[in-house]
Parts: sequence; structure tokens; C-alpha cells
Amino acid sequence: MTASPLKTRTGLIAGAAALALFAGACTPDTPTGDQPVTLQFWGWVPGLEEAVAEWNEANPHIQVDFFRMTGDDGDSVPAAIDSGTAPDIVQMSVHSIPGHLINNRLHDLTDYVADLEDEFTPSSWGSVVYADSVFAIPQDSGPTALMYREDIFEEHDIEVPTTWEEYIQAGRDLQAADPELYIGQFSPNEMGFWLQQVWQNGGSYFGIEGDAWTVNVADEASMEVAEVWQTLLDEELVRVVEMWTPEFWSAVNNGSIASIHYAAWFPVLLEDSSEQTAGNWRVAPSPTFGDEPSAGDTGGSVNVIPTSSDNIEPAVEFLTWLNTSADGVSYLIDGGVFPSALSALEDPNLLAQEEYFGGQVINEVFSDAAELVPADWVDGPSYDLMSDDLSDAFAQVANGGLTFEEALLRVQDRNVNELRNLGLDVVE
Amino acid sequence: MSTINSGRRRGFGLKAAPWLFLAPFIVFFVVFLIAPIVTAVITSMYSVQRSGLGFGDGNQVVFVGLANYVQALNNTEFIESFGRVLAFGIVQVPVMLGLSLTLALIFDSAAIRAKRFFQLSVFLPYAVPTVVAALLWGFMYQPSVSPIVSALGWVGISPDFLAPGTVLWSIANVAIWAVTGVNMIILFASLQTVPRDMYEAARLDGAGELRMALRIKVPMIAPALLLTLLFSIIGTLQLFNEPMTMRSVTSNVTSSYTPNMSIFSATTLAGDRYLGSAMAIILALVTFALSVLVSIFSNRRGGQR
Repeated sequence: MTASPLKTRTGLIAGAAALALFAGACTPDTPTGDQPVTLQFWGWVPGLEEAVAEWNEANPHIQVDFFRMTGDDGDSVPAAIDSGTAPDIVQMSVHSIPGHLINNRLHDLTDYVADLEDEFTPSSWGSVVYADSVFAIPQDSGPTALMYREDIFEEHDIEVPTTWEEYIQAGRDLQAADPELYIGQFSPNEMGFWLQQVWQNGGSYFGIEGDAWTVNVADEASMEVAEVWQTLLDEELVRVVEMWTPEFWSAVNNGSIASIHYAAWFPVLLEDSSEQTAGNWRVAPSPTFGDEPSAGDTGGSVNVIPTSSDNIEPAVEFLTWLNTSADGVSYLIDGGVFPSALSALEDPNLLAQEEYFGGQVINEVFSDAAELVPADWVDGPSYDLMSDDLSDAFAQVANGGLTFEEALLRVQDRNVNELRNLGLDVVE
Repeated sequence: MSTINSGRRRGFGLKAAPWLFLAPFIVFFVVFLIAPIVTAVITSMYSVQRSGLGFGDGNQVVFVGLANYVQALNNTEFIESFGRVLAFGIVQVPVMLGLSLTLALIFDSAAIRAKRFFQLSVFLPYAVPTVVAALLWGFMYQPSVSPIVSALGWVGISPDFLAPGTVLWSIANVAIWAVTGVNMIILFASLQTVPRDMYEAARLDGAGELRMALRIKVPMIAPALLLTLLFSIIGTLQLFNEPMTMRSVTSNVTSSYTPNMSIFSATTLAGDRYLGSAMAIILALVTFALSVLVSIFSNRRGGQR
């Protein structure tokens, strides 16, 4: 409730007028000349200060002023863009893009980044393109793999599963060996588990058909994932526990959860929170739906240029360096994120041995996965709401009140309505 | 000339002085109360019109009258959230106020040693931020890390504090723990204003402590009781921090568990501040109506006695 609609409207008109004046004053492609620009950059990857310092040293004409986002800073981004006080570059979750697009908050970068497509993994690039236009530059991603307790698998003579069918069977074998042992967990409060598997199976929450949105949360690919989870839940092969809670970490620490199938950003958190299981974990490729190797992704973060900024060209120049050059990417790797750039996948810094995982080079597995992730994931304008809807519905699934199929159909209906409430066209 | 001038000046000064003293209040009142309410009312009657995918700058903010209110009232989860906090309030408010009143009467009766210490202990939870309180209690509710659950397990009871049917009362427990102390202080302070000779008179008439408490003390502090009752009802309708924090521990607290959480969901997650404003105004109206009802009801009862 920051401004009345009237103010917003006059603001829009003023903005449009200013834009027209700007366009009239100079052609859009004019380089900034000798006038140095200073770019405001909001981001959160650890160590970005050093990356920016190196860039500023080498590029006196394009100076970058970095602001570290903490806590709820992300929540202030929409208001900052609408009021024209936003920085030139903002880091945000890849899933947030369409919510901003329907409010005209992000510059269309298509004409500035055409040659960048080949620099990124197909899935990272695919998730910043909407209706053939590019709206962000990928920064990091979350390709998936199976982290498992080698000691437990060995003790009970269980093979590491390579398909989801084998995964279910491994769950049964673990239960047969010890009723306190679960192959994994089901956490209604953590939708990443669900999303990554739908993504792996070639599905998507949303889609675009011509000039209309589609809601695909209950499509065939999702229903196949639902079938796997319904079996896991019905046969009580997974432990129902909310993620990130003391209850969850206690289950990880006491060894009742034998494997965690999650993204490349998870191992460092596992290491921080479960010291006592150090050395027992290994990483294997994600179990697959068919015979072909495949992997999912939780989605990572991207860099966008808000419509309130006039510095598209210098911003793209800086972002290209940060997110694709060997120099820039090395800072991202040091910051602990998994870069979206293809060049990073062979970076020796990324492919280091991890003591916590018994000396295994775990990022080899994640790097292979990054290239396997399907490129057809599409986020939609009601992504945040859909995540909450799924959480609410899956909580009922965990209590036995709904099946996964019923839950998905309910979320499907609600989000079709939600998009229509936002005034958008939806085809069913 | 000069006398007229000075007279004028004095006249002006007399007129301006009260306004000058009132100015800080008026400015803050207008800027932080009136203006936001007016803004919310205006915002609630607009909506963004989009078409197709909604990309580009073709969006228009249009006047839609009461359409947002209709949409909010048709939202079953929003309506259900009112029922939920109502059920919550019917249990939590009497229990909490009963506890506060009992404690205030005990502290007032002079029958207790180390009064200051116990008063402070009861009040202390109020100094703990509600989010922290909910986190602490969240810990106590999780079976494998909770000392409470393991203690109860010892005597053969295995409660699930976070199940769909029990989590509301687990939240009520946090609220009771947090605000009993402050209400006790209000009631206790009010008890100090009761003239002491009334007690003497009562004692001469042979009234015991209990009779005195029920027949003199409670009626004498009825205005303070009404005040705490109103604050509690408003607090119940505005419930947000405790359930929102508890949601990180159990998904059985849904995203639209209370009216304020529904509003948060519409405004922040769905990005529709127009609908969110309409929902916020509905909540304000319900709160207002309930407060008026309670005070009318209390006044009438007070008048009949």
C-alpha cells in the first residue's frame, strides 16, 4: 500500500514521457561514450564484493556499486522498481521472473544478449526465455543428484538405485532390514523435491501457448511423479518430516534417512548441519524415469535489469563478464553456488575433492547432471502462490486426506483461477 | 497603533498555541493513520487490467468499484480463516484472561511471598518477541527434540502437538504464554486504585478473601477487564506471527490460516495489493464491529446490575 493507483498512473505517464524524451534525445544503440557510468547492483552470492572490486579496477568506465541483500531485502524489489528507485541489476530467483514480467518490471534483453545462449547450460538459458524473449542472465542453478549413506547401503547390501523403480525397491529393502530406516523423506514444506523431479521428467508448472498461459501442474509428467510418491508414502518407505526443522536434522544425524535426492547447493548445507555423519555420504546420479540418463533442477538465481534503469548495455557487459568469463565464474564458485555457465562445469575449482564425501569429486556428478536437465521448464506469474498451494495440499496428502493426484488437480484449478484473476489469458 | 498591534499579536498567539502543541500529534495521526487508511480504501477499489501474457507496458489500473470485495468474500479460505480465529478466540481469550485475573488477585491479596519476583516471572514472556516465542515452542512440539514429548512418553502419553486438529491449540498455548503477564499487570495496576477502606469495611462485615475478590475487586476493575478483553479480541483477529512461524515447523498451518496470513498471501505472494487492500479493510471492519458489540454488551450488563 505504498502509492494510490492515481499516483501509480501519473507515475506511469511520467515514466513513459521520460522514456519518450530519452528515446528522442538519443538513439538506443548509442554507446555511453567517455562518460563513466556507475551501476547499482543488488545481490547475495558470498564474495561478490571481491568480484566487483576486480571488475572496477579493470573497467574505469563502468563502475559497479554492490549492495549485499540480506533477510527480507528481496521483498522490497517490486516497490523499488515501481517507484523508480531500484538498482540497475538485481539478483533474484529464476522462478520470480514472470511475476515481475506481468508488472512490466524487467527489461527485455533479447537484442543485447543474442550471442550468450551458447555460454550457458540449455536448461539455465531455457528458463530465462519467455515467448522468444530473454529477460534475465542466468547466474547459478541447482542440478540434482542422489546423496546417500554409503555405510548404510553397504551394511544392508543394497545397490545404489539408478531408476525410480529401483529407488522404491531399495526403500522396501531398507524397511525390511530395519523398520527405522527410510530411503528418503517427504517434506510438505519443501517444494524443491517435487519441482526437481517434475523438471527431470520433462514436465513444468506452467507453459505458454501463443498469447496465453497454460497451467501444467497436473500434466502427465507430474502424474508420473505423483505415482512414485504415492507408492513411497502408501508403503511408508519415506519418513514424513518437515525440512530444515530440528526434527529433520535429528533424523539425518541418527541415520534414519538413508538418502537425500536434492540439488547441487544442498551438500554444503548437509556438511554444516550434520558433522557427525561426515565421511559416510556419497553422491550418485539421479535415479531416472526411463533407461536414459536424466537429471532435474530446482532452479537457481538470475540477474535482471529493472525497467527503471537506463543502463542496459553497460549492465549486460558487466553481467556477461561475471556470469560467463573464467574470472567472473571463479568468484561464483568460491561463493559456493553452482554456476549456470558451461565453462564453469570443467573449472578445476568446481571439481575439487570433498572430504565430507569421503574424498569424492561430487561436482563431477552435478556437472554431468547440469547438462542433462531438460530445457523446457516454464515458470508462471503465480509461482509463489502455487508453491504455497502445493505445500498446503501435500500436507493433507501426508495426513492421508488427499492423494497426490487429487492434490495436483486442486492446485491446477486454483492457479487457473488465480491467473484469470490477474487478468491474464489462460488456455486449458 | 502599537497597542492594537500587540493586542493582535497576543490574540494570534492565543489561537495558535494549542495548534502548535497539537501539531506533532496531528501530523503523525494524519500521516501514519488517516493517510494509510484513505490510501487502502482507494486502492481497494482499483485493479490492474491485463491481457494475453501480461507482458509489456499495456497494463492499466482501472476503477472496479467493489469487485475486489466481492472476490474476497467469495474466497472460501479467507472466510474460513475468520472462523478459525473465532474458535481460537473463544477458547484462548477466556482462558488467558481467567489466568491473568487469578494471578492479579493472588498478587494483590498479599498472601504471597517474593511478590516482585513472581510478578516479573509471569511478565517476562511478554518481553520475548512473538516470533522467538513461536520458534521456542515449535522446538517443544517436535517429538524427537522435545523434552515435553519425551517426558509425557515416560508416563505413556504420546501427543502430536502439530497434527491438523491440535496445532491451533498449540498456537493458542504460545499466545497464552506470551500475553498472560501483560494483562495481569494491567489488571493488577487497576486493583491498586481500589480504595483500601472498602476492604476494611468488607472485613468488618465478615467477608473472607475469596468473597472480597469476587464481590468487590472484580466489579471494581470491570473497566480494566473490558479493556484487556477488547485488546485480546483485536489481537486474536490480527493473529500472524505465531502461526506464520509455526508454519516453518508444520505444513498443517496452511498459507491462509488466519485473515492476516490470507492478506499477506494475496499481497506479497500473489502480488495483488488491490485485492489485499480490500481484504485488509474487511478485516478492519470485522474487528471494529466485534469491538463495538463487545462494549455494548458489557455496558448493558453493567447497567442492569
